This record gives sequence, C-alpha cells and structure tokens, in this order.
Amino acid sequence: MTWLELSFKEWQRRPLRTCVATAGVAIAVAALFSLLAFQSGYREGMRGELDRLGAHVLVVPKGCPYDAASMALHGASWPCYLKQRFLDEVRGVPGVATAAPVFMTALYDALGNQTVYVGVETNILALKRGWRITGRPPERDDEVLVGSEAARRHDWQLGEKVPLPGLRERSGTVTGVLAPTHGADDTFIHLPLSSAQRLFKHKDELTHILVRLADPDDLDHAVALLRGCDAGLAMNVVPLAHVFHTIRSLVNSTRLMLGCIALVALLVAGAGVSNTLLMAVAERGRDIGVLRAIGASRGDIFRLVWLETIQVCLSGAIAGVGIAFITSRSLETWVRSTLPFAPTETLIHWQWWNVWACLICAIALGCAAGFLPAWRAARMPPMVAIRTGKALA
Amino acid sequence: MNAPPNGHDSVLTATALTKIYRRGREQVRALDDVSFDVRKGDFIAVVGPSGAGKSTLLNIVGCMDAPTSGKLRLLGHHVENATERERTLLRREQIGFVFQHFGLLPTLTVAENVALPAFFARRPTEDRVKELLEKVGLSRRGEHRPHELSGGEMQRAAIARALVNSPQLLLADEPTGNLDTATGGTIIDLFRQLNTEGLTIIAVTHNPALAGAARRQIALHDGRTASI
Repeated sequence: MTWLELSFKEWQRRPLRTCVATAGVAIAVAALFSLLAFQSGYREGMRGELDRLGAHVLVVPKGCPYDAASMALHGASWPCYLKQRFLDEVRGVPGVATAAPVFMTALYDALGNQTVYVGVETNILALKRGWRITGRPPERDDEVLVGSEAARRHDWQLGEKVPLPGLRERSGTVTGVLAPTHGADDTFIHLPLSSAQRLFKHKDELTHILVRLADPDDLDHAVALLRGCDAGLAMNVVPLAHVFHTIRSLVNSTRLMLGCIALVALLVAGAGVSNTLLMAVAERGRDIGVLRAIGASRGDIFRLVWLETIQVCLSGAIAGVGIAFITSRSLETWVRSTLPFAPTETLIHWQWWNVWACLICAIALGCAAGFLPAWRAARMPPMVAIRTGKALA
Repeated sequence: MNAPPNGHDSVLTATALTKIYRRGREQVRALDDVSFDVRKGDFIAVVGPSGAGKSTLLNIVGCMDAPTSGKLRLLGHHVENATERERTLLRREQIGFVFQHFGLLPTLTVAENVALPAFFARRPTEDRVKELLEKVGLSRRGEHRPHELSGGEMQRAAIARALVNSPQLLLADEPTGNLDTATGGTIIDLFRQLNTEGLTIIAVTHNPALAGAARRQIALHDGRTASI
C-alpha cells in the first residue's frame, strides 16, 4: 500500500459527490486548455497567412482594410477595383522590390460551392516563394494553374483540358498544379492577368496589388511614400503587419476576457473541491480519529487529505483535457464564425506544453483547495474515535 | 489516594488523574483523583455505569487526551506533559486500540486495514499481516472488504490491526458492545489467549463476561475509583 493508493481509495468513498467536484475542475480545465490551444493555433495561423501571402503591403481600392485583407487572403468577389495604371506608380515608389497585380473574383455554382479565379502575372512567383508547381505557370489565355485542393476536388490532371467551373462553354488547359500550401491558394484557379480581366469584363482593372519591399524594416517609410504618390488618394495602402497586429490585439482582448472567465471557473471549481473535502472530513471525523489513534500523525492525516484533493483536481484536469480534445472541432467551427478574421489553418492547435500547463494548474489548484480540509483533518483530535455511534464498518 | 509503588515491570502508573471539561459555564469533573497501577501481563476491566468516566480514562491512558492534573507514567514515559509528537509515537509503537465500532476503513480490504498502523510506522507488513490474520482466524478473509464480514470477524480484524506493531499494551473500548453473546464470547476468548501470551490488556466494558475474564477490575463511579 502506498500513500497514493490510500488517498485514491478514500476519495472513492463518495463517488457521486467526488464526480461532481471533478466535473467542475474538468470544465474549468477544458476551458483553459482550449484557450491555450486557441492562442497557439491563432498565432501560428496568422504567421502562416503572412508567410504564404509573401507581401508586406496590400494595395486595395478605398474601403475597409480588414475586409480587403480578408478577401485577398481567402478569395472573394470584390465590390470595387483599382485602375491598372496605379501599378506603374506603385512600382515607381522607392523601396518597392516587387509589385504583383491581381484580379480576383469568385463564382458560385447551384449548390453554393465557391470557385475563386485569380488573374496574376508571372512576377507573383517572386512573392509566393513557398509555391511548388508541378508543370509551369500559365502563360497563354487558355492556360490555368490550379491549387492542389481544386485539382483533387475536380479530379484534374496536368495537361488536361478542363471546363472552368461557373463559366459556360469556357475551358482551360491545366499547365501546372500547386503542391499543398495549407492555405487558401490550394482552392484557387490561377490564370494570366489579362485573360482574367477579359474573361470577367474588367479590362485595365485590378482588385489588389501585392507589394514586397526591398527592406521590410523600412515599412513605415515605404507606406508613407505609397500614400503620397499621385494615386494615393484613390487607393488604400494597407501594411499587412499592422492589419494582423490590430486583428491580434482585438482577439487578444477577447482572449484576455475568456482567460479571466477560465480563471474564475478554476477558482469556483477549487472552492467546490475544497467544500466537498471539508464535508468529507466532517463526515469521516471518527475514521480520522481512528487513524490518529492507531498511529497516524497530524502530518500523515494532512498528507492523506491533501493528496486526495490533488488527485481529484488532477483527475478533473485529465478529464478536462479529454473534453477539450473531443469538443475541439465544434469549438473551432464556433470560434471561426465569431472572429472578424480567421486564418485557414487549424485554430485550436494544442501543444504538449498546453497539457502540462493545465496539469500544473490543476495540481496548484489542488494544493490550494486541499489546504483547509487537510488542516482541519489534521487538527481533529484522536478522541473522536472513542465516541459511540453508528459503526462505519 | 496513594499510587502503588512503581516496579520495574510496571506498564502504567496513574497518580491522582483528574480531568475537567468545560460545558458552557459549567465544569464537568469527568475523572477525579484516579490512581492505579498496571503491571506487565495484567488484564484489567474498567467497569462502571455510563458517564462514570471510563472512556475519558481510556483516552488519557491511550495518549489521546491529557489530564487536567495528575501524573501518568506509561511504559517508562511521563506522558502528562508529552508533546503531540511523543503521544503519536507512543500510540503508534506501544499501544494497540480496539474500538466498539471496529473502526475499519470501508474502502480498504481486511489485510490493508490490518496493515495500517505499520504503514504509518513506515514498516514492512506483509508477513506480519499474514501471521496475525491466521492468529485471529481470518486468513481467508484478507482480500475481503469489511462490509463482507460478520461483526465478530470485523472485531477480530480490528484486534489483528491493534497487534500489527507488536504493542505492549492493548486498550479496548467496549470490544463486545456491538456483538451478540456468542460472538462476544469468541472475542473474550481471543483476549484471554492474548493475555496468556503476555500482552497487557485494559478493556472498558459493560459486559459481565468480559469483566469476569479479566484478572482485575477497576470500577469507576462519577469519575472516582469505586473499587480496584
């Protein structure tokens, strides 16, 4: 017999009450774990989005920069357009290494499935350094480069002539297939810029311009120059790092609030466990007296009750982490629907340190919650063992 | 009352033990100037009506409570002013307890219950537990839970537990109080056997059979020794 076995057997004595106390801890830990996993997932997702975009600055038509960033990243039909002549002005700004013009639109079939067409020039490859293409980028009007997910969904092969979804009697030849990027590019169909402009009847118009700077540290200066050029009044210059920083700040505020709620839940759960153990100690007064009478010291009794509390909290933590795993998909769907901007990657992305942090929190909670019941039990005089009454065994 | 002389085989010498409790504004004199001597191998029955102070005396002799005044020399130790730690050590190492309500933990097996005092003494137990379960006739009941035993078996398990640290003194509080006459008889026989083997026993009892089995009786009345 060990101390752990002894305390484990003791807390099984009132299984229902112990389960309720454990469930309280489990719910609080599940909230904490989900929050930590969300923090990791969101941060990594945002970083991944930035890396995949490859641009430092997004030049878009006048309007909300956050909407524009979301449309450029995830694909959509744009409500307004830039004049293509702005491209030359952007390219002329000192510090701009590459300015890649983009025309983007989205079409929907009868079932509501979205197909995003993106017209680009070959200089897009200077930004999308992570792209791995099987085949080659499109060069002629009827050529397309398809994302890995789009190719899989339509079962398109390299070199195949395929009907373009949402466009009647239009077809294109697949000249290249993108290796999975784990981003929105996987679902896009890329075609030459001029071809896209002609196809969607927006000649000499762009939806946005992706700008890569020669020196990313010179962002503020470059943005000021872009805003100050002749076309500056007709376009919105959006430094992406600032957009993501703002979005992250907004999400951080929400996360802080949720963190406080998780903390309060943990404290309430701890109070519940403490109360449960206090009741258990009061009910087991005579048993504790017997243990004292047969040689248990005050320290032994303290240790026993303390271990019992820690075990309850630790069990709750393990159950909580399990609950968080099971509910992570539903939670992700819900979080995605409420966020102003969500990366395409998994939002709830747990790491081992999240698990350890939750377990350590639960142990700390158990130590704190168990102190009072353990102290009261240890102070109980052995004389109560002699008192007569209903026999326990 | 004068205490008898303290010989080298004395297990316990109580001199003018007095215990006063406060109940609100009232003072209750639970023990009043009680003196007696217990020698090695004694089997003493403490008898008397309810409220006579028997349990208070057992609490004090068992180092679970301190007297308000008087002296108590137990197995060579002056325990009236002993610290909590010293009392715990005495209870653990030198004294075995048997309770009317058996005091077995329901979540542990019989063998685990028997092993508990040795566990608290950080002492290996397996062989000793087997030996004691055999001695009290429960060798096949070691893995059972207390609720699966009869009253007599539970009390025998409790006696085995009291003996696991090889104490010099066995204290029993109404050990036959929850048992029928026949079962109580087997417990009395077990006490008699243990006493024959040299164990010193003090039992608080209302049971005339147990009192009759003892070598000596201490009768208490209103906290005073009525007869020894």
